Amino acid sequence: MTPAWRRRLPSYRTLHLPSLLLWAVVACAGASWLAVARLQQLHAAFETDARIVHRLLSQRVVQHDAIMATLALLQPTAAASNSTDAASPLPRLPSVYPQILAVLQRTAQSDWPPALQAELAAAEASSRRTGHAAMAGLNLPAGRYHLVLAGTPASYALHIDLRSTIPMDEWPMDRSTSPVRVTLERDGEAFVVQPGRSDMGAWSRTYEFHKLLAAPSQPLDVVARRSVGLHELPWWGMLGWCVLTAALWAAGRALWRQRVARQRAEELLRLGQVARLNTLGELAAGMAHELNQPLTALLSSTQAAQRLLADEPPDLETAQTAMARAVEQARRASTVVGRLRRLVERPDLAGQAQPLALPSAVHDALHLLEPELAQRGVVPSVTTTPDLPTVLAEPVALQQIIHNLLMNALQALEQVPATERQLHIALARTDTGHVALSVRDHGPGIPPEARQRLFEPFYTTRTGGLGLGLTLCDSLAQAMGAQLALAPEATAPAQDLRGAEFVLTLPTAPPAHDR
Amino acid sequence: MTDSAQSLSPLIHLVDDDAAVRDSLSLLISTVGLRVQAWADPQSFMAGFDRASIGAIVLDVRMPGISGLTVLEQLLAQGVDQPMILLTGHGTVEMCRRAFKAGAAEFLEKPVDDEVLIEALQNAVRQHVRSRERHQADQQARERFAQLSAREREVLGLIVEGLTNKEIGRALALSPRTVETHRANLFGKLGAESLAQLIRRYAALVDAAS
Repeated sequence: MTPAWRRRLPSYRTLHLPSLLLWAVVACAGASWLAVARLQQLHAAFETDARIVHRLLSQRVVQHDAIMATLALLQPTAAASNSTDAASPLPRLPSVYPQILAVLQRTAQSDWPPALQAELAAAEASSRRTGHAAMAGLNLPAGRYHLVLAGTPASYALHIDLRSTIPMDEWPMDRSTSPVRVTLERDGEAFVVQPGRSDMGAWSRTYEFHKLLAAPSQPLDVVARRSVGLHELPWWGMLGWCVLTAALWAAGRALWRQRVARQRAEELLRLGQVARLNTLGELAAGMAHELNQPLTALLSSTQAAQRLLADEPPDLETAQTAMARAVEQARRASTVVGRLRRLVERPDLAGQAQPLALPSAVHDALHLLEPELAQRGVVPSVTTTPDLPTVLAEPVALQQIIHNLLMNALQALEQVPATERQLHIALARTDTGHVALSVRDHGPGIPPEARQRLFEPFYTTRTGGLGLGLTLCDSLAQAMGAQLALAPEATAPAQDLRGAEFVLTLPTAPPAHDR
Repeated sequence: MTDSAQSLSPLIHLVDDDAAVRDSLSLLISTVGLRVQAWADPQSFMAGFDRASIGAIVLDVRMPGISGLTVLEQLLAQGVDQPMILLTGHGTVEMCRRAFKAGAAEFLEKPVDDEVLIEALQNAVRQHVRSRERHQADQQARERFAQLSAREREVLGLIVEGLTNKEIGRALALSPRTVETHRANLFGKLGAESLAQLIRRYAALVDAAS
């Protein structure tokens, strides 16, 4: 009993949970990807900056080694050694190198200044051992230290200020605003090169960079630290992504709902057709039964009478009864037919005729049939003469007639190749003052033997056709005072005149009715 | 009982809810000498018709309350052996298929032509008579077979298998003479006039008994 058309229709709800979940997943994934990409980008920038910082600082401290080496070359010769000559280049260095606060010298005659003697001597000893300069008196918080290079006969020490070592002009970051904290560290003490920012709130992620300065004499650890806070995530981008996907989701849902609505409409239409066919089938079955009963009785009675009369001797009396019964059954059959007619009788259409514009009725019918036309690749041509008068017709009946004529034409066109499918619709005034609507197809045409019987009920040239379409059109047309006819066949069946042409002639509306 | 039933002419049961159809078909059927009993509804027909009668049943398919097809299926389930003819106003292929599958003898469309209907009825009656005769012959054979003694059944079995008296005597340890006596007795009891007739009528019973 389950009809084939009762397929499951897709969901029509506005909040569709599966697709909503899908949206959430896509939105989250996209937003996370954006966040991760931003973090990676920040990390890469941090690493680059840290390496640049390490390189710059290393270059500067290596310079100290170079200065010391130069000083060593300026060793006073043992012979010409006197304090004034030897000391002369020393005070000039701080004016050239701002990071060098002072230059100290230990010669055979003069020892290191007493305050620093112990530290500098130890460093000198270490320097003499390793062969390169050594640090002494390291005070990282203040950024000061001494660099000692042992030499003979004189050893030198530079008092260095780290603050002035920083190459401001080449620095890769803005030292006051950059979130990166850069320090030089050794033995738990630190010199702050760049303060950075560390107030990162509830969530933060820290990048770190550690590398010793590339100067063996000054093994300070360059440490860069950077914390990334929540506020640095690409919130606008993430929000934008979510909004974009939400918009796509909404658009998708709207399209889907539109499709569902269209499918529903199609189903309903089909349902209507099925219901109509069922009704028609039921009507036919009922009619067959109602008529078959009296016909059965009629046939049997007359045949029984025939047999009785053929008997020797004929049984006249019984035969008469049988014939009387036959008459009665013939009347019964005719009553059934009468009842059926009254059942399907149409109301009077002539009374409901109203003035209307034929071109717009044709336009409406073509609009309704657009899918059918497109499916068969037919582009109808409509020609209208100017100043076409308003016609008098019942709108629904007129619509049905035009629809049927167009459908017939389309079905005829199915039998010819797609490239030859032409459909002409012409609206014109006739000589008699009526308006004629002509529907001409370029199909195979109507065979001569069918032309006579075309409007007969149940006559059809199509397999599976009911043979009621044109009959219905004809009676609808007649009921509203119009006329439907098959145009006479073209005398010369030339290629371009092939096909069938139906002409509906409609009465015009009296001028008083013109709007 | 069987003799009296057969001497009467066959009885046709006609079931149709339409009085005019009932009357005219009854008249038509009676013109060829068949007796007709008409029923207005299937319920009273099923409750009241003579199941022993020889003849056929004509059923209208479209009847109020119960379809002719259902009546046919119910009657067959009850073991009714009369052939059944279905009449319908609008027969579909599906309905026809279902009717024959259920066991209808014939499926006719209304309005039905007299010759078609009468031929169908006569065929049905002939078929019924034959099946009743066959049934009676079977019944008689069974009754006669039941009168045989155990020894006679043994002998009969061996006769059916094609053994000679001598061979039967050897098989049952009897003298050929005794076998001869049993043989004469069982021919008498079974009413058989020839060996061929004996085998044709009783071979199936012997097989069933052994």
